[in-house]
Amino acid sequence: MSVRGSIREVFGFFFSIGRRTGKTRVFALLGLIPVALAIIVRIVLHGRSGDIAAVFTEILMVFFLQFYIVILALFYGTSVTAEEVEGRTLSYLITRPIPKPAIVLGKYGAYTLLMFVMVAVSLALSFFIMNVARLSQPALYAKFLHYLGVLGLGILAYTAFFTFLGAFLRRAIIVGLIFGIGWENVIQYFPGSTQRFSIVHYLKSLLPYRPMAGGGRGVALLLFRLEPTAPLVAVLALAALAGAFLALACWLFRMKEYLYED
Amino acid sequence: MATVREKGYSHWDGRLTDRRFPWWPITRTGIQLAFKKKTFRFFFAGAFMPAFFALGGLYVSERLEDFKALVRSNQALLHINPNYFKVFLTSSFLLFFIILVLAFAAAGLIADDLKHNSLQLYFSRPIGKKDYLLGKMSVIAFFVLALTSLPWLILVVFKLIFAGSFKFLVDYPWLPLSIIGYSSLLTVFFAFYILLLSALSKNTRYVMILIFATYIFSDALSGILGSIFRTPYMALFSIRANLQQAGAFLFGQKLPVAVPAVWSFAVLAGICLLSAVVLNRKIRGVEVIK
Amino acid sequence: MTSVIAASHLSKWYGNVLGLNDVSLDIDSGITGLLGPNGAGKSTFMKLITGQMKPNIGTVTIHGRGTWNNPALFRNIGFCPEHDAFYEDMTGLEFVTGLLRFFGFSPSEIRDRAARALDIVELTKDKDRLIRGYSRGMRQRVKFAQAIAHDPEIVILDEPLSGLDPLGKRKLIRLIKDFRSEGRTVLVSSHVLPEIEALTSRVVLVHQGKILAQGDVPYIRELIEAHPHQISVRSSDPRALGARFIGDRSIQKMTFGADGRTLIVETHKRDDFFGRLTGVVLEGGIEVEEISSPDDNLQAVFEYLVGK
Repeated sequence: MSVRGSIREVFGFFFSIGRRTGKTRVFALLGLIPVALAIIVRIVLHGRSGDIAAVFTEILMVFFLQFYIVILALFYGTSVTAEEVEGRTLSYLITRPIPKPAIVLGKYGAYTLLMFVMVAVSLALSFFIMNVARLSQPALYAKFLHYLGVLGLGILAYTAFFTFLGAFLRRAIIVGLIFGIGWENVIQYFPGSTQRFSIVHYLKSLLPYRPMAGGGRGVALLLFRLEPTAPLVAVLALAALAGAFLALACWLFRMKEYLYED
Repeated sequence: MATVREKGYSHWDGRLTDRRFPWWPITRTGIQLAFKKKTFRFFFAGAFMPAFFALGGLYVSERLEDFKALVRSNQALLHINPNYFKVFLTSSFLLFFIILVLAFAAAGLIADDLKHNSLQLYFSRPIGKKDYLLGKMSVIAFFVLALTSLPWLILVVFKLIFAGSFKFLVDYPWLPLSIIGYSSLLTVFFAFYILLLSALSKNTRYVMILIFATYIFSDALSGILGSIFRTPYMALFSIRANLQQAGAFLFGQKLPVAVPAVWSFAVLAGICLLSAVVLNRKIRGVEVIK
Repeated sequence: MTSVIAASHLSKWYGNVLGLNDVSLDIDSGITGLLGPNGAGKSTFMKLITGQMKPNIGTVTIHGRGTWNNPALFRNIGFCPEHDAFYEDMTGLEFVTGLLRFFGFSPSEIRDRAARALDIVELTKDKDRLIRGYSRGMRQRVKFAQAIAHDPEIVILDEPLSGLDPLGKRKLIRLIKDFRSEGRTVLVSSHVLPEIEALTSRVVLVHQGKILAQGDVPYIRELIEAHPHQISVRSSDPRALGARFIGDRSIQKMTFGADGRTLIVETHKRDDFFGRLTGVVLEGGIEVEEISSPDDNLQAVFEYLVGK
């Protein structure tokens, strides 16, 4: 079977398993929280569409960008390898006539699609509930697709990184959590080019940004200072990061031996 | 043709071949042996302190004006009083690190037992559910107390030594009790919190994510609801905020959020109660197959 | 003629622990039993053969081709792992068909092969149940089904009978023997000696990472010249029989069975003893009811070799 065919079969196999596990249901339910919040916001801020729009951009998008997709990518990304080793099912896969990188790429593809569907549904419901008064405006749909695109890129990049971590480290979750929850947040306070050593920097560069009014002296160092990268460069950087980490993950998976804990 | 080989000492029988870098195994083993010693690891980590301070200096130098303003507005931090201890003990940084340590060390406490069907092994011995849970909670207690009451009680002693008198203790005699009380609160809460999540899944990786996600999400949710409803009571949704409220109360300091401390204690107690109910259901000696 | 599976100076370390110690072995078609206690190196050897691990030193080949990172080889290899591990949210049918997809078969072929494999292991009735609800025996059988569903030429079975009840073991032994009769190569590992004896007479004995012996059980036994053979003779008057052999220098040891009717003799020269015994019987006076060799089996051979 060709490499492409192998990837396709692995994708189909794990997409069908992944969509019915209990954990997928839990993560999908987590995605309903912004929907619930959107409903609450609509009730509380009824008639104040400007405030509603601000709540979505500055609050809910932060939830999606810095929490939901990170947690999803961390779990599913590390699961690409770790799940097979912990569950001792790796033997079934590597004794099939499929190249090892096809297992990584197929599983990555399956889980990425699964996550994208969860995020898309959650985003769509919360966004359109928040903006129900403006459904006739075409610009609204362009905005939605823009947000969805940014989150999609985030899913691709984060999942690729965590797939690499999962292939490389035994205890990938801890490092992943420190990166996703710690580094990705803390690095945004750092000056100069330091911010470019994070994935969230490029994602935020693709979103509308409002610089602090008046410079905010006295508390400025406690505030996030985005020095955005140009959108095209940000997209290319995210694609390159995803590609590089996936390639590394494939190489590691091919070269490493994974021993079961007895 | 059958062959019979002699059983003997398990010495490798193959032929030795030349290594490209013959000195490398010696170097590698020497480094590995050094890291096996705990004292070495402690001192090795400590040796990086000047570098971290220097890094801090580099950061400060880039934002010098901001830091000057910060010092001016926070001169209170240089006064050693119960507030000083409260600030550090209830800091988000310390709480985050406690979560990190517990996620690493305690996520699998019950999850692994569920995965390997070990509960039946435990309860076939003369121990009950209480003993089992107490044993597991003691693991968490060890780590939390090691990070809270132990170092901070020692710091009280250091304060007395540096000051050369007992005046500090005379001025604040209840401070050690506050430290112990707050550490105990953290211990009990985290024991219930971690074991609750550990009992929800057989997958330790998933439990680690749950531990972090629940903690951080509670904070995010509290922030979101606070900005929507513009009431400080939304802070009650945040685990971190509730712990800090309770800590401020126990140290007799001003509460960080304008909400009576009893509400925070109630939220924390509620989580412990929920955990007790779930643990009572999940921890049993018989396996139920649906 | 190249062997089907060939290992040459194969060694594998786990850190400082030597898992496999300079093993050289050729395996041909038919059933070969890999026998050894837990921790002997059987699973290590099987993982090296199936490309799950890379040898530190030496080579392992199947039909002359290396197994590490050689997925094309696995078109003709079926592997049944030791661990009781599955994708628990799948049914038996989904599990077998899902893994068949990786061979490039058409959907109809996948369905037919899966149905046939599940029929062979007698799981047709339960194919639509979740594996999570299967009994231990059913789980072992579905594992076997996925190993044979693609009709492999070579089947590697790591402790396939572990955890099965006696009826389950009989069924699986029959299945494995049927496989041999179709001209395939089967390598079966076990630490339970009667299981291997029931499957094949061709064994490889493994202990502490080394091959102790390989070949047919009786022939291995013959080669252990350092150890005397045990022969048990039941007769009407064992003591009188024993008295006839007491002066024979080839007899190492003589004991009497607890039933009071058996003489147990240890001798280096078995054939000589049988010759003399025949003479004693012909001379008359002592009736011999039964002659047997209690140690002419794998258990005794293994115990001699490992010195237990």
